[in-house]
Amino acid sequence: MAGGPPKALPSTGPHSLRDMPHPLAGSSSEEAVGGDSTPSPDLLMARSFGDKDLILPNGGTPAGTSSPASSSSLLNRLQLDDDIDGETRDLFVIVDDPKKHVCTMETYITYRITTKSTRVEFDLPEYSVRRRYQDFDWLRSKLEESQPTHLIPPLPEKFVVKGVVDRFSEEFVETRRKALDKFLKRITDHPVLSFNEHFNVFLTAKDLNAYKKQGIALLTRMGESVKHVTGGYKLRTRPLEFAAIGDYLDTFALKLGTIDRIAQRIIKEEIEYLVELREYGPVYSTWSALEGELAEPLEGVSACIGNCSTALEELTDDMTEDFLPVLREYILYSDSMKSVLKKRDQVQAEYEAKLEAVALRKEDRPKVPADVEKCQDRMECFNADLKADMERWQNNKRQDFRQLLMGMADKNIQYYEKCLMAWESIIPLLQEKQEAK
Amino acid sequence: MEQAPRDPERQLQPAPLEPLGCPDAGLGAAVGKEAAGAGEEDSGVDTMTHNNFWLKKIEISVSEAEKRTGRNAMNMQETYTAYLIETRSVEHTDGQSVLTDSLWRRYSEFELLRNYLLVYYPHIVVPPLPEKRAEFVWHKLSADNMDPDFVERRRIGLENFLLRIASHPILCRDKIFYLFLTQEGNWKETVNETGFQLKADSRLKALNATFRVKNPDKRFTDLKHYSDELQSVISHLLRVRARVADRLYGVYKVHGNYGRVFSEWSAIEKEMGDGLQSAGHHMDVYASSIDDILEDEEHYADQLKEYLFYAEALRAVCRKHELMQYDLEMAAQDLASKKQQCEELATGTVRTFSLKGMTTKLFGQETPEQREARIKVLEEQINEGEQQLKSKNLEGREFVKNAWADIERFKEQKNRDLKEALISYAVMQISMCKKGIQVWTNAKECFSKM
Repeated sequence: MAGGPPKALPSTGPHSLRDMPHPLAGSSSEEAVGGDSTPSPDLLMARSFGDKDLILPNGGTPAGTSSPASSSSLLNRLQLDDDIDGETRDLFVIVDDPKKHVCTMETYITYRITTKSTRVEFDLPEYSVRRRYQDFDWLRSKLEESQPTHLIPPLPEKFVVKGVVDRFSEEFVETRRKALDKFLKRITDHPVLSFNEHFNVFLTAKDLNAYKKQGIALLTRMGESVKHVTGGYKLRTRPLEFAAIGDYLDTFALKLGTIDRIAQRIIKEEIEYLVELREYGPVYSTWSALEGELAEPLEGVSACIGNCSTALEELTDDMTEDFLPVLREYILYSDSMKSVLKKRDQVQAEYEAKLEAVALRKEDRPKVPADVEKCQDRMECFNADLKADMERWQNNKRQDFRQLLMGMADKNIQYYEKCLMAWESIIPLLQEKQEAK
Repeated sequence: MEQAPRDPERQLQPAPLEPLGCPDAGLGAAVGKEAAGAGEEDSGVDTMTHNNFWLKKIEISVSEAEKRTGRNAMNMQETYTAYLIETRSVEHTDGQSVLTDSLWRRYSEFELLRNYLLVYYPHIVVPPLPEKRAEFVWHKLSADNMDPDFVERRRIGLENFLLRIASHPILCRDKIFYLFLTQEGNWKETVNETGFQLKADSRLKALNATFRVKNPDKRFTDLKHYSDELQSVISHLLRVRARVADRLYGVYKVHGNYGRVFSEWSAIEKEMGDGLQSAGHHMDVYASSIDDILEDEEHYADQLKEYLFYAEALRAVCRKHELMQYDLEMAAQDLASKKQQCEELATGTVRTFSLKGMTTKLFGQETPEQREARIKVLEEQINEGEQQLKSKNLEGREFVKNAWADIERFKEQKNRDLKEALISYAVMQISMCKKGIQVWTNAKECFSKM
């Protein structure tokens, strides 16, 4: 994006779906949508979170350009987008090449962000910029601000206890890089968030700081709307599906926390086991020096134990670098999701309160005032966005955990295979008869 | 007059073996033949079957262990474990065995047997007993002597001890050993009647000899050094191994927690639920597999322990050599001084100090008759001394020859046994790795179905 005023990007809310340029601009619309934007009821029912239809409190179709129909069709779009993965992607982002910068005031790390895209929102087909952690942090808060009805992926933890972890160590930097890469990829995969203006600038701007300073509040209509929702209204009844999501996230976070503790404990025990192994192996060497015929076999055993120790160290390193961070990411994720749920509750509460107030003032019936309509609108969009994102999140979560746990099993298998090979290779050495003495 | 041997340490040809106080003296010749036969053997051949036709004929097993209570020497109630020793004679070539003897013994009786053997066969590396108290335990293992696992391992150790003796070309012929297997009552009295406790060398005497001996056989000095180092390295190894076992136990057991949390998590999941649940089950299997693994490893530790204790037996043989050598040196020294005295008396020169010489100076010369008498006594003593020195020399060299023969036998046995132990340890590790691969592969499959 070159200079000039930011273009109005597609977003949820007042604009009808038909006005939006299709996310998959490169391919034919028919192929993507099936030539029809009407949602099939089966598709909706199969995917939605246990409910048959969107719940509309007043039973009717509110006037105005925002309609539940467009929300449903958006839902349909999002689901279809998920199906056509990989082949028709038009945005690729990679985080790599961490570099240390030493300045007078501070030392910090930057990462290279490479973007390749055919989307019209990008002036060039390829970009390469450098960003540091605080830039990611900025991006995340901007996304939260401008897209409050969506689930924003988590960032790796900001603060690192100095002295405990070396924030310039290779392992730490690599772990962080992977998490930042994951963060951007999740945004890239999101049909709404990936079109966010701040995201675009983050990926493309040469001087991000200048842009930050402009303090451009790029709130979408929805963002603006939700921003002004006042808290303090008490929610009557949380719709079943959102209550279920809340309960689920509570238990989910709890279980993940337990798994995190178990994994940490295992790593700790493995490290202590490693310490003992490192003393154990060399004793066989010492013994070997005393012996004649037994010297080679004993030395062989010593070397074997040494190999097993190395394999164990690799296992613990892998688990620390690859397994634990992903667990923590999901714990953070579910925390931020809970706050989005809370916000949704507030939106609903305000709507219900206003509606009730209107109902009491009998003279205004049957016409529903505009601001109550706005509230309903807001709520329905929020609900739709959240449902869609939850669905997406569930699918991704399933894939991520499947991969994570399979990876854990794999690492353990590899460890045992290395040890097996070591021990099997010394059996012939041990069985060898010494000819000449 | 014979010249005083300038170096009493020079080794002469040893005399044929005659085991001290051998109760079965009649078999002495046969034993000698056996021993000679052993020397001709190819080092690779198993000496067990060749030298010991007794082992071919009998089978010994310590088949049971039983808790008993009784009254001890101080008439106090005590609990101890008794072990059943069964001896079977292999009648026919098809290997049919008939139970010939069966009796119960407790650990202290085994100790008595061993102490007896140590005294009567000082040139033999006497097989050690399994440990009296549990040592080198890791936390899950009990240090309690009454613990069933400990008792079981001790039972095996005691059986091994008896088999080692039975397969030894010399020890197997001992009558007291035979009675140990066959005569339940009165055996203790029989052993004590041999008076072996009196024949035992005092520790003080042995210690003294160790410090003062001037020229022990270098091979024994080296061997003693080796046995010290061996003892030290095996102790270290056993200690660290115990810690390794402890840690490994911890690693496996913590994985068991995954089982429970996966189960709880699966309750809130839809598609992921089944995969998680079944993976959790495999984690439980993994956690419980360590118990058997470590139990098997204890057997390896026991094999190492046997050789740890064997090091002490090696040292005992070395000490005996030092003692005999020292004795020889002292006897030679004594003889030399007597000869010198005699010479001085005869020639009238006084070079060495003697009390008689002193008193003569103080109280006047002794008469020629007195001097003659003294010379005669000395000459008698010198004769006796020369005889003794000769026999001590022979004894010493015989000891060295026979001890070294047994030590060579022991070395072969040690190398064989420890190689076997290392192989079986490697096999255990391989089995553990394969189990690990299996479990995690199963878990991975469950995860893939999530």
